[in-house]
Amino acid sequence: MINTTILSWVTFIFFAAFVFYLFRMILGREFWGKLATWTALVGLVAQSIALIIRWITSYDLGMGHAPLSNFYESLIFFAWTIVFLYLLMEWRLKNRSIGVFVLPVAFLIMAYASIAPGINNRIEPLIPALQSNWLTSHVLTCFLGYAAFTVAFALGIMFLIKSAAGTDLSKSAVFIRLLPSEYQMDDLMYSSAALGFIFLTLGIVTGSVWAHYAWGSYWSWDPKETWSLITWLVYAVMLHMRLVRGWRGKRMAIMAIVGFACVLFTYLGVNLLPSLHSYMS
Amino acid sequence: MTKNKSGIWSFFSSVKLAVVLLSLIAFFALIGTLVPQREAAVELAGRISPGLYSILQKMQIFDLYHSIWFFLLSGFLAVNLIICSLDRFPMTWRRFRMRPAPQNDDAFKDLPATNTFQVRSDVQRAAEAAALLLKKKYRKFARTDGPDSTCLCAQKGRFSLFGVYIVHLSFLVLIAGVIIGSVFGVEGYVNITEGETVSAISLRNGSQTLPLPFSVRCDKFVVKFYESGAPKTFQSDLTFLKSDKAIQSVKLRVNHPVVFEEFRFYQASYGAVPGGRATLALLRDGGRRDVMNVGAGYTFELPGKEGTFQVLRVEENLMKMGPAVKVAVRSPKGETTFWVFQQIDKIKALSPDILDQVPMFNPGLFSPYTFTLMGMEEKYYTGLQVNRDPGTPVVAAAALLLICGLMVVLFSYTRSVWIRVDRKKDKVLVRVAGRSYKNQAGLEKEIQYLLSELKDNLEKSK
Repeated sequence: MINTTILSWVTFIFFAAFVFYLFRMILGREFWGKLATWTALVGLVAQSIALIIRWITSYDLGMGHAPLSNFYESLIFFAWTIVFLYLLMEWRLKNRSIGVFVLPVAFLIMAYASIAPGINNRIEPLIPALQSNWLTSHVLTCFLGYAAFTVAFALGIMFLIKSAAGTDLSKSAVFIRLLPSEYQMDDLMYSSAALGFIFLTLGIVTGSVWAHYAWGSYWSWDPKETWSLITWLVYAVMLHMRLVRGWRGKRMAIMAIVGFACVLFTYLGVNLLPSLHSYMS
Repeated sequence: MTKNKSGIWSFFSSVKLAVVLLSLIAFFALIGTLVPQREAAVELAGRISPGLYSILQKMQIFDLYHSIWFFLLSGFLAVNLIICSLDRFPMTWRRFRMRPAPQNDDAFKDLPATNTFQVRSDVQRAAEAAALLLKKKYRKFARTDGPDSTCLCAQKGRFSLFGVYIVHLSFLVLIAGVIIGSVFGVEGYVNITEGETVSAISLRNGSQTLPLPFSVRCDKFVVKFYESGAPKTFQSDLTFLKSDKAIQSVKLRVNHPVVFEEFRFYQASYGAVPGGRATLALLRDGGRRDVMNVGAGYTFELPGKEGTFQVLRVEENLMKMGPAVKVAVRSPKGETTFWVFQQIDKIKALSPDILDQVPMFNPGLFSPYTFTLMGMEEKYYTGLQVNRDPGTPVVAAAALLLICGLMVVLFSYTRSVWIRVDRKKDKVLVRVAGRSYKNQAGLEKEIQYLLSELKDNLEKSK
């Protein structure tokens, strides 16, 4: 199918964008940064087109559902939200150095979607419980949240690298010098985590509204639900520590990394546990 | 005494306690996803020693989310939230009521040089420009004019101070909703075979049944499949009855529950009913063929008047050899009973001499007739989840409060800004300062915006 062909090209485009961001960080020339931004944008547009084609195709096949229904589609959408959110941030903040940490995540997710065993990239019909308008809003909000947490994670890693390199910038490599200031990164980390927290909350709420209509209970302690709660609690602790106790910098970076580990477990690890949300069934 | 009281108070009002409780809840939730819960725990019982199992069970490890631990943690968190909100609210209220004075030397202390500029203008004109700008951006502002200087100030986002209380309140409302649900709510299920009527449901916790104040009949159940065999849609046509009078008929679909007298019905599952009906064909050697729809107990006179036959049993899957019907033929010579298998050809192919070994499996045992089982009639039952939860609207309100509160906490912030214009010979010195409790970066951006607007304005109007 044409949409999966485009999507496998997008995987390489994201990889190229990552390489260009890396060149910029090593060579310190803004030409590479501009090229990287445009490459990522081309990838995002191509991916959007592929998703729309996939959506239309599902109608032609008589199923008619948004491309958010199985594991493959969720991975693709995850990568899409990450790049979308990143480019939005880059444009707003006029700073390209986060890209070298964010784009590889998007690339790896796309690559995983196309090569991991047992992932079905066909358009599949929806089982009755998934035939709901809440599917789209639930998946949309959850993945926007995941994407924001991914950006916070990338910033956390950047922060730790920068603070490990020491304060004497004149001695460090171009790479370190091009990273935003620690103050800026800390602030962005907080903003991304806060954004992710709002979206995760919305995702949990839309999910429980949907569960209320589909299963008759707004909360049933399904492992995915429980893990989303754990993730929510971790970020709740992180935000409390910042807003009330004034945690900054390294501690926030570590919290962003721990939180992202919870996000990953909520998204992937839960498939190892029996669940109503299992993509693998 | 008072000291002791304040000790407890400060313990419960600390954010440290909140963080510890949140972490503990997260930890218990994590354990609950690793240790099998409720029904799933039975399987574990076989693998660990009975002593350990009973200890773990007493500690309610197998029903963590409904255990005393979870209950206590939520209770502590609720007390923590109430106390810490009460503790901080007076200060918030003071901050909310406090209007900053235009003249505030404190705010300009250690002001970075980037927050000031000089321009050739007079105090009057610069102050007017500043007032216009503040009015545009903050609507309200305060001002005091001196002989050689003017001070202005404005404030924005004061309501964001209350965001955190909205979030905390939402959690208390959530707990209230959950308690209402668990005290007054009912969670049950019922399976209804097509054509049948029920007036009680089985409860999820425990094996009790709950009589309903009405009865429900399943008139019809329809399931459609995709080509792959996965179900596409399923729905039940239900009729609610009160004292045998039909009150309301509905179509119940997945994702579209139906409410009747406070009970909410959900289309949850479906299945085939064992012991339904079968289609049986009867062939007389060289003669006519009769096809009939039969159930257990069905009696029929043989076309040649040799006797009668009766259907004794209808089996979905007899001894793993597929659908079968047990038939008795009664004639003056006596009674003959035998089984009629639907897949008799397959069975014969697998073991060719089965009919000699087990004459009861011979569908032609009573000559000159041969019976054929043409198929089983699929009869469905519909699986319904039946709930009554008066706490749901309360929980929904809590969710709404939570989202609104979070938006306020995370996306708005209180800040005050001051602009001071001083005469310096034939120039004026403009200084902009600000204060924010939460968002220093946002404030800094705002100050820079004010500075550049003001500078542009004054330089242009020269």
